[in-house]
Amino acid sequence: MAADAPPPPPDVPGPAAPGPSAQAVATPAPGIEVVGLRRAFGAVRALDGADLVARAGAVTALVGPNGSGKTTLLLVLAGLLVPDSGQVRVAGHDPVTDSAAARARTGWMPDAFGTWDSLTAREVLTTFADAYRVDRTRTAARVDELLATVHLSEYADQPAAVLSRGQKQRLGLARALVHDPQVLLLDEPASGLDPRSRVDLRILLRRLADEGRTVLVSSHVLSELDEMADDAVFLSRGRTVAGMSEADATAGRRTWHVRALSLRTLTDWLDASGVGYRPDGAGRPTDPDAAGGVLVDVDGETGAAALLRDAVTAGVPLVSSAPAAGALEQAYLALEEERR
Amino acid sequence: MTATTTTPTPAPATPAVATWTLTWHGVRTVAALELRQRVRSSRWKAALVVWAVVVGAITLLAGGVLALFSADTARPDDGGALLFAVVAALVLGLGLLVTPTLTSTAVNGDRAAGTLATLQVTLLSPAEIATGKLLAAWASACAFLVVSLPFFLVALAMGGVPVTTLPRVVVLTALLLAAVCGMGLGWSTLAARPAGSTVLTFVTVAALTVFTPIFFGLTYPFLSTTQEVQVYGVSDDYWAQQDEGIGSSTAEPTCELSVQERAVARTEWTWWLLAINPFGVVADGAVPPAALEGSANPVQTLRDLRLGTPEVQDECWVEEDTSHAVPPGAHGGPVWPFGLAVNLLLGAAGFVTAVRRLRIPQRTLARGTRVA
Repeated sequence: MAADAPPPPPDVPGPAAPGPSAQAVATPAPGIEVVGLRRAFGAVRALDGADLVARAGAVTALVGPNGSGKTTLLLVLAGLLVPDSGQVRVAGHDPVTDSAAARARTGWMPDAFGTWDSLTAREVLTTFADAYRVDRTRTAARVDELLATVHLSEYADQPAAVLSRGQKQRLGLARALVHDPQVLLLDEPASGLDPRSRVDLRILLRRLADEGRTVLVSSHVLSELDEMADDAVFLSRGRTVAGMSEADATAGRRTWHVRALSLRTLTDWLDASGVGYRPDGAGRPTDPDAAGGVLVDVDGETGAAALLRDAVTAGVPLVSSAPAAGALEQAYLALEEERR
Repeated sequence: MTATTTTPTPAPATPAVATWTLTWHGVRTVAALELRQRVRSSRWKAALVVWAVVVGAITLLAGGVLALFSADTARPDDGGALLFAVVAALVLGLGLLVTPTLTSTAVNGDRAAGTLATLQVTLLSPAEIATGKLLAAWASACAFLVVSLPFFLVALAMGGVPVTTLPRVVVLTALLLAAVCGMGLGWSTLAARPAGSTVLTFVTVAALTVFTPIFFGLTYPFLSTTQEVQVYGVSDDYWAQQDEGIGSSTAEPTCELSVQERAVARTEWTWWLLAINPFGVVADGAVPPAALEGSANPVQTLRDLRLGTPEVQDECWVEEDTSHAVPPGAHGGPVWPFGLAVNLLLGAAGFVTAVRRLRIPQRTLARGTRVA
């Protein structure tokens, strides 16, 4: 059995090293490394050669359509499933052969978070602190701190049954953080959260990453990931189809939505300067002199800046200009992978 | 967000967590979680109250009825013994009815609720999770037993039962209920759905309590043959003379060996069916050895089944001591240690199954289930 593995050697390199977060960011030891991961459930190949590297000190988005293997990948990383083949390292430990060491360093938040209805939020967290063998003298303070972090202090002594879905989700996040893990695996963490909580979640994940932790977030709500992720990994049919870093997002060819006070002036200028454009679908063709916008493909942000400068110089009354959709969404749609 | 700063501290040396690692800390954590979850539900309190009312009503009514009848007879002690047997059977029977539900959904129910996997990824070992769940369920089962104690005392007060019987009955019942908890736990890891494991646990308990006497009864005719056996008893001649008025009516009947035709059942092949029955275990184990005398006792009948047909059947009621004609050892010893061991082994098998099926990472998943 995997759990029979000997305790890890004390000199494990990696993000576990104590020290200021700046150091961890400067030398980003991989928090999660996955190579050629395969896992089948009967005839269904949930993972079919997935590769992934999630840096410590960064938020990595795991993107893919329903059934693309996101949850299966997270289950393998959390140490719940044995892969059929492939190598996995979580915080420097193999979750199969060195299960306990990997689990001790991993905080996992499942997509379907069940809760013990009769227990209060505080009891849930205390129980998990005990289960992770957190020093009991520190448990109470740690639990209070976590409840404050996820804004559940006022519900601390209410049974979990009265919590709303979003509140339970936040409790689930606090539960995943209770043992101060170096690697965080979050499966659809923002589902059910109100806008305020989403912003809070984004800030919290950002802070956790800045502290040198590895954060892997799965979701299919791309706009949400766009705001918090540094890197992205695209999964489709159990395979990694593309990876994207922050640099790619700013440099890649993207569609921008350009809007002017007079649509006719804008299109005339675009025609004259030979820039291709598409209608944005919102304009009313009956009144071409009215304000309106078009979609333009440009090369990264430099391309966008050049286009705007030229347009303003030419006297086009520009109102706004912005990426038409999130970087992730565009990259995702560009993959043209079908759903299943 | 609040301005709390939590820098990743160097992880302390990871405690070695193997499948069979068992610490009191871990077991207590799981047991406390289970008990809190259970005790706070109002169903639980209602169940205890209903239990007390049912056992109490039957005990008091049965006690009243027995008191009424035994007032006529000269032996009030029989009433006490009977009432004690009624209470013991009732508590064991209801216990066997309630206990399967305490563990039969312990694992697959948690899996369905999405709470099992989050517990498995912690540093709790599979053995700790299984032991914690077993302990919590057993403690709940024992709570029913504790609620029944006053009624045992009522029965004891009517006399006819040695006081030492009470602890024997309580301990045996508690051990049998622990075995049932273990069986339920095992089924709850084997069956994918809570309904399936509940049915399987009830079928297992029914197999032990209901099916065993049925099989014993149904196989009895097949095991019975008419054979010539040696009988030590009053001869037929004596009765014939009595009927015809030939012999003097005051003549003492005397016993002698004779060969007669008797229906003989080879119960040495099926005695274990009754011995593993929980009711058989408690009935046999309840009576202190000192209090067991004479062969007219139903418990002794149970014990003797193991021997099948004795070489010489003792049908002589005239002589106090028949050992000169009937070979000694014709009475069987207690069978409850065997029955209890079988029950506990089944429970242990369920527990071991549960621990093995709680191990992570998992290689195989039950059809139609998700890990989380």
